Amino acid sequence: MSAVLQSLSTELADAVESAGRAVVAIHARRRIPASGVHWRPGVVVATHHTISRDENITVTLPDGTTAPASLAGRDPSTDLAVLKLAGQSIPTASLRPDAPPRVGELVIALGRPGPSLTASWGVVSGVDGPWRTWQGGEIDSLLRLDLAIYDGFSGGPLIDAAGRVLGINTSALARGIPVTIPVATVERVVTELLERGTIRRAYLGIGTQPVRVPESLARRLDLKGEVALLIVSLEPGGPADRDGLLLGDVLLELGGAAVSDPVDVLAKLGGDRVGKPLAVRVIRGGQVKTLQVTPGERPMSRAA
Amino acid sequence: MTAPVTAGLARELAAAVDQLRRVTVQVRTRGAATGAGVLWDGGGSEGRGLVITNAHVVRGDQATIELSDGTGTRARVVARDVKRDLAALEFELCRELVSAVVRDSPPLRVGEVVIAIGHPGGLGGAATLGIVHRVENAGEGRPPRWLRADVRLAPGFSGGPLADTTGRLVGVNTMMQGGLALAIPAVAVEAWVRRSHALVVS
Repeated sequence: MSAVLQSLSTELADAVESAGRAVVAIHARRRIPASGVHWRPGVVVATHHTISRDENITVTLPDGTTAPASLAGRDPSTDLAVLKLAGQSIPTASLRPDAPPRVGELVIALGRPGPSLTASWGVVSGVDGPWRTWQGGEIDSLLRLDLAIYDGFSGGPLIDAAGRVLGINTSALARGIPVTIPVATVERVVTELLERGTIRRAYLGIGTQPVRVPESLARRLDLKGEVALLIVSLEPGGPADRDGLLLGDVLLELGGAAVSDPVDVLAKLGGDRVGKPLAVRVIRGGQVKTLQVTPGERPMSRAA
Repeated sequence: MTAPVTAGLARELAAAVDQLRRVTVQVRTRGAATGAGVLWDGGGSEGRGLVITNAHVVRGDQATIELSDGTGTRARVVARDVKRDLAALEFELCRELVSAVVRDSPPLRVGEVVIAIGHPGGLGGAATLGIVHRVENAGEGRPPRWLRADVRLAPGFSGGPLADTTGRLVGVNTMMQGGLALAIPAVAVEAWVRRSHALVVS
């Protein structure tokens, strides 16, 4: 008889059932509800892009009852949001923070876009190192999935064959391609959102674009890299403007590191950099000039 | 490196597919392959066999069915329900055939492995594997309208079986919607057959 095939089927259904006890439906938008995970006692993790209002949020619990929830904070840069849920006794998700997923590992994406639990299966198609989202969010590792996404997929957990959570799924960080925000990133963001309500990020108030430095100029100025960043926009009164950077300056180094991509600038602007001066090297008027800029705190983005 | 579990899985899967193919027929109308069907009754009351398929697979009153051993036979539509997208076909039996076995219990669980058999592009007995995506709560005394599965179906799977790992029928594949397969639950098909076939026979 088909012992292995039946065991596989039963184990997958068991994993879905056990992990599904911590998956809730979140009603915070006009369309169908999205999913969320009961992450810590009284704390539900969801995706930022599926929560279109800050108030009148309710969740449907696995037993079908509905309970009110309050928004504790959101981080558009990692597409995570944290809700508080009072007085409920549902279990919290069982997490797998260590032992990173492997390419080819069998995984299941759970969702609850309403009272019923939903699942799709597939494999982890890619595991890479840390990456930065287009809004500057730091994600500990890039987990790409080969599985079907469906309504209510975002905010649900990716689980392994034993029902342990590997992260939170979203289709909003990579142009509709499903990715999973790993447990480590979720933990970090949840802790900070619970403490402060926002994710603190430093900012300079500049927009940049890579440019090739002419070879003759590079030789004359004794530059190492060929590509630098042209400042193409400057927020009036922003940190960079206040500290004397000008439109048209070509950024060579920031905080002692060469910059050749706008992502390099974001990498120097973690939350701990607010108020701490950074050395800046620029080309201005054909000469290399060194300045100091002090990053400010990025105002909360209201992109919702 | 040896992979005893995967090797065993592959072997068992092949056996399960083989078994399911025997209760799957290909349906042709006017010479063109239009879909699949489930051999509902191959034991034959009065030497007649019964195949269940989707109403959208058989447009006329007549169809040709091709059994898994390649033999073709003419069949006539004895019941059709456009709203439920079901049709019943009757054909003359030359010998006794195996019938599909419906899974009445236990109830399906989300995450269970399911197998679909069909004839995409006229290709005989193709199989796809997936899991149960969602189990809708049944209404009062009524089975849910759809069984949703995370299975990739192509045209040609319509009317064919969706089965569990033991080969028991859980649904009749009907369409794809939003990347998911929608099947009519086998218990709903069973109730429909009982109702509509009783009318035809009497």
